[in-house]
Amino acid sequence: MKIQRLRIEQLRQFRQPLTLDDLDPGLNLIHGPNESGKSTLVRAIRAAFFERHRSSSVDDLRPWGDSSAAPTVELEFVTGERSWHLKKRFLQQKRCDLEVGGEAFSGEEAEDKLADLLGFQFASRGASQDKHWGIPGLLWVEQGSGQNIHDAVAYAGDHLQSALNSLLGEVASSGGDDVILQIQSQRAELLTATGKPRGDYARLGEEQHSLASELESLEERISQYQALVDRLGELRQRHQQNERERPWEAARQKFQEAERRSREIEQWQQEQQREQQALRDCQENLKLLRQQQQQAEAATNKLETRAQHLKACQGALESLRARENQTAEAQAAAQKAYENARSQVRVAKEQEQRARLENDLRQVQQQLEGVEQNLTQARHYLTELQATRQQLQVNPIDLKALENLRALHRQLEEERIRSHAIATRLHYRLEEGETLSVGGETVEGEGDRLLLAETAVLLPGLGQLTITPGGDDLASVQRRLERLQENYESQLRSLNVASPEQAEQMAAEQAQRTQNLQRLEGLLASLAPRGVETLAAQQQELDNRRQQLQAEQQALPETSADAGTVASAEATQEIAEQRLREADLQLQEHSKQQYAAVQNLANAEKEWQQLKDELENSGRQAELRALQQSVMETGEREARLNQSVSERQSRIDDARPQLIQQDIERYRASAEQLEKGHQKEALELTGLQSKLESQGAEGLEEQRDELAARLEHVRRRYRELHQRAEALDLLLGLLQDKRQALTRRLQAPLQKHLNHYLGVLFPKATLDVDDNLIPGQLTRAVPQGQERGSLQELSFGAREQMGLISRLAYADLLQEAGRPTLIILDDTLVHSDKQRLDQMKRVLFDAARRHQILLFTCHPENWRDLGVAPRDLQTIKTGNE
Amino acid sequence: MPRFLHTADWQIGRYYSRFENDDGVALAEARFTAIERLARLAVDERCDAVLVAGDVFDAQTVSDRAIRRVFNAMAGFSGPWVLLPGNHDAALAESVWTRARRLNAVPDNAHLALEPGVVELRQQSLAVLAAPLTQRHTHSDLTEGFDELETAEGLVRVGLAHGSVQGLLAEGIDSANPIAADRAVQARLDYLALGDWHGVKQINSRTWYSGTPEAERFRNNDAGVALVVEIASPGAEPVVTRHATGQYAWVQWKEQISVATDLDELLARLSELSAPAVVDLKLSGVVDLAGERRLLQALSVAEAKHRSVQCDRSGLSLQPTDDDIAALNADGYLGEVIADLRELQVSEDQSRAQTSREALAILTTVLMERTGTTEEASS
Repeated sequence: MKIQRLRIEQLRQFRQPLTLDDLDPGLNLIHGPNESGKSTLVRAIRAAFFERHRSSSVDDLRPWGDSSAAPTVELEFVTGERSWHLKKRFLQQKRCDLEVGGEAFSGEEAEDKLADLLGFQFASRGASQDKHWGIPGLLWVEQGSGQNIHDAVAYAGDHLQSALNSLLGEVASSGGDDVILQIQSQRAELLTATGKPRGDYARLGEEQHSLASELESLEERISQYQALVDRLGELRQRHQQNERERPWEAARQKFQEAERRSREIEQWQQEQQREQQALRDCQENLKLLRQQQQQAEAATNKLETRAQHLKACQGALESLRARENQTAEAQAAAQKAYENARSQVRVAKEQEQRARLENDLRQVQQQLEGVEQNLTQARHYLTELQATRQQLQVNPIDLKALENLRALHRQLEEERIRSHAIATRLHYRLEEGETLSVGGETVEGEGDRLLLAETAVLLPGLGQLTITPGGDDLASVQRRLERLQENYESQLRSLNVASPEQAEQMAAEQAQRTQNLQRLEGLLASLAPRGVETLAAQQQELDNRRQQLQAEQQALPETSADAGTVASAEATQEIAEQRLREADLQLQEHSKQQYAAVQNLANAEKEWQQLKDELENSGRQAELRALQQSVMETGEREARLNQSVSERQSRIDDARPQLIQQDIERYRASAEQLEKGHQKEALELTGLQSKLESQGAEGLEEQRDELAARLEHVRRRYRELHQRAEALDLLLGLLQDKRQALTRRLQAPLQKHLNHYLGVLFPKATLDVDDNLIPGQLTRAVPQGQERGSLQELSFGAREQMGLISRLAYADLLQEAGRPTLIILDDTLVHSDKQRLDQMKRVLFDAARRHQILLFTCHPENWRDLGVAPRDLQTIKTGNE
Repeated sequence: MPRFLHTADWQIGRYYSRFENDDGVALAEARFTAIERLARLAVDERCDAVLVAGDVFDAQTVSDRAIRRVFNAMAGFSGPWVLLPGNHDAALAESVWTRARRLNAVPDNAHLALEPGVVELRQQSLAVLAAPLTQRHTHSDLTEGFDELETAEGLVRVGLAHGSVQGLLAEGIDSANPIAADRAVQARLDYLALGDWHGVKQINSRTWYSGTPEAERFRNNDAGVALVVEIASPGAEPVVTRHATGQYAWVQWKEQISVATDLDELLARLSELSAPAVVDLKLSGVVDLAGERRLLQALSVAEAKHRSVQCDRSGLSLQPTDDDIAALNADGYLGEVIADLRELQVSEDQSRAQTSREALAILTTVLMERTGTTEEASS
């Protein structure tokens, strides 16, 4: 299909008519900047084919703001060696006119003819959508959708298939897919997607198993039942036989026989016991008799023993008597030694007493001398003390008054000094031998007088002079002086002294005496601390003691010999005493022994005599003879009994009484067991009978047969379904295999075209096509080997390239099938790099040799080397082309 | 002049697992009605007694109801019935017979020969020497005792036994319950009535198997018969006449279909078969779509007419002709699938072949439905 001329009017921005003619049958490159109307041209072409001219959903065709516009598209093209002329007007005065090789069509008829030619559908209502576009949808690529090949191929699927079918002849099946669907749904009734039984088929399988196991258990019960029947028969037969034969009675008879025999043996045993008792008595008797015999023999022996004993007693007594004197002498010697030792002790003690008395006396004498000496001294001190004390009491001086006198003396002195100071001083120097009386006192030589009162000086020859001292207080001083003088003198008087010096003298003497007194008292205390009387008493006492000691001394007897110390004397005495005690004891013991020996002798003599008398008795001899006889007789009887007992014992042993007892037990148990067993069998028989009766009534075998029939039915039905499932599986498998093989055959030409273009882009690469003819896996050579991947995983640019290649391949395929092809590419391959774009240009150039291609772009510089003159839309618009 | 009915192998309680349920039930029911027919026959033929030679019951533990029904069904003939335990209903310590007695189901005129010995029917001038099985299987000849059994003067000596006459089966088969072929002579019997063999069979002039009165297998020939035996006097030759008693004929055909006429012949036979029958067909060979359609049609007709019709077509390969395929509109790969399935049917592997046959049948059915619908649409 080749478009030769395109004219549009009142369509979007082309309000004025635009004509694109002289279009090349191969490649046409139409360029223009954005919004110059490239897409509008594409839209116009689409509208001319896809939109019903009556459609009211094509408002987008209308120029902006021009509601009265009637968008018109006019197309002239050649296909199938016929010229087509299409004119379509929308929205206003809607029309569609088609002229094909002189034939004219209009309206929907014209539109349907176009759809048939190109292979698309009209939308039943509304604007045409991509799903209606069929083949043109695949070959006319809109801006930015070149990479999405999947949907486009799907929408074109039927048209492609029919093109392929026509290409390959009648290899496809008209109803194949439908049949496959039916078979699939039939299979789905029996099998799940994974091939497992489902529904009735699955249920029957389970039922088959459960019935089989039920049947098995029923079979088991039947065989049990039959076993029980067999047991019943066996049991009944045995029971009847036992009922007839009654074997327990025979056993019982044997039991009784054994019992009788046992009783017989028992009798023997009793006899045996009796005789054994007799034997034992006899043996006992014999033993006693023999004992008596032995006793008689023993008595004779005893007499001999006693004689010997008697002799021994006599010997012992004699030897004791021989030693009697010796023992007595030893005792007397010991007695004497002891007395000696005792007197020695007494002497030693007296000596010791005397020495002690002498010593005491000496000591007392010494003490007495000391005391007498002290006493003399003490008496002397006492006399002195008493004299001093007397002196002290004769002339005592009051020390306090003395002190007072001293104070008064000082005051008087001070007052006199003070009076001198204020007194009138009268100095005189008289010629030798001359005297004067001053105030009655005769003075000579030179001197001074202090005059405090009116003093008359008698000048011997001349008269008297009266001098009266002046001053106010001279009189008071005079008076005070006089008062003090009076006090002073009174004090002297009270002290009974003439002067203070005398008083002082007296005080000193008194102190001397007091000191003396104290010293004497100290001396006395040291000599006689408790007083002189005590000391005198002490002296008296000591004197008495001395006299006593002297008396004692005189009382002691005089001794000459030295008796040694008391201690040694006493030790000697003790040893002597010990020896005496031992000697006493020995003497005592000896006499005791001697006494005992005498006694023994007497006893021995008596016993000997007694036994001797006894043995020599005449009755005893007879007795001994009788005893001898008895022993013989009893011995014979024992032998007889012994034989009888052993004979009987062997008879008893031969009869095996223990075995007989066991027989009794055995026969008794057997009889009992047999009878019991018989009864038990009878019980089991009844039990078994009733059990079988109840089980028989269940009709087990009938049930079994019924169940087997059911199982058989289920099995048969299952087999049928199984058969059917397998058949469906087989059929479906075959159908799908065939269909796939067919698809592969159909894919082959497409594959060929695809690989033709693909080789330009990727040498040795292959692009697989799936059942729906949609490109899937891309396999290409990489340095490491081969690389496989889905188309969807490629980059956008590569996907776009693959999309374009695929579309070109479809175009080739369609052309081969004699279908019209027109390729419109709106700004395609914008995402390709330069290298790829160069290759794609080769691809496009190649395709353009077979198909008309309209390529719109806003990048004319990219397409310069495409070998065609680009047509500028701007220029076309202005009509300058 | 005693005249009695000889029958055996009633096999009451038998279940038929190979048939559809209702068919099985009907066939089981026919065994009961067979007893009624025997009673009527005995009356019609003026028999003095009915002797049943074992296997009255198919199993020991049948339901109480089955037991009662057997004896109820005998009510039509009031003369004596002598019933002998066979291997299926041996007189064990506990058996279907003891149960029947416990149930009080046994009428006075039925003599249960549970122990070996003579059942004397003086009125009928018959002395029946019975050799019942008292174990499930014996390997000694139970009829040996007949030789020693004495019977009253003037009575016809008739032996009644159940087992296999020796020498009848292939050599080397150690069959259970053996019976000497010359027992009738040995035991001076006027007649030996045998059971166990389900088809009627004469051993010698005095020894017969009556067969079962109602067939229950495809294998036995001459089933569904009872014998009327008349013996003029002790020592006289018995006169034996057969009487059909069966309700259903059991037919089993194994056919090879090679050409269309084979099928025609088979279908003709099928349509002529007297009803009601129990039919078992096993077909092998080849059939085309048209043939298959005709066959299915004929089978459908036969099913409605007979008690049961079973047809095993697993050996019959379905081979659509080219015309068939064209008619099916099986173009493209569908045609290839059909061709493949045709080939697969001649596979060595039997089950594979059968699966292919079924697969082809399914496919052709689908295709026929499609063409049917398109035809309808076009018309």
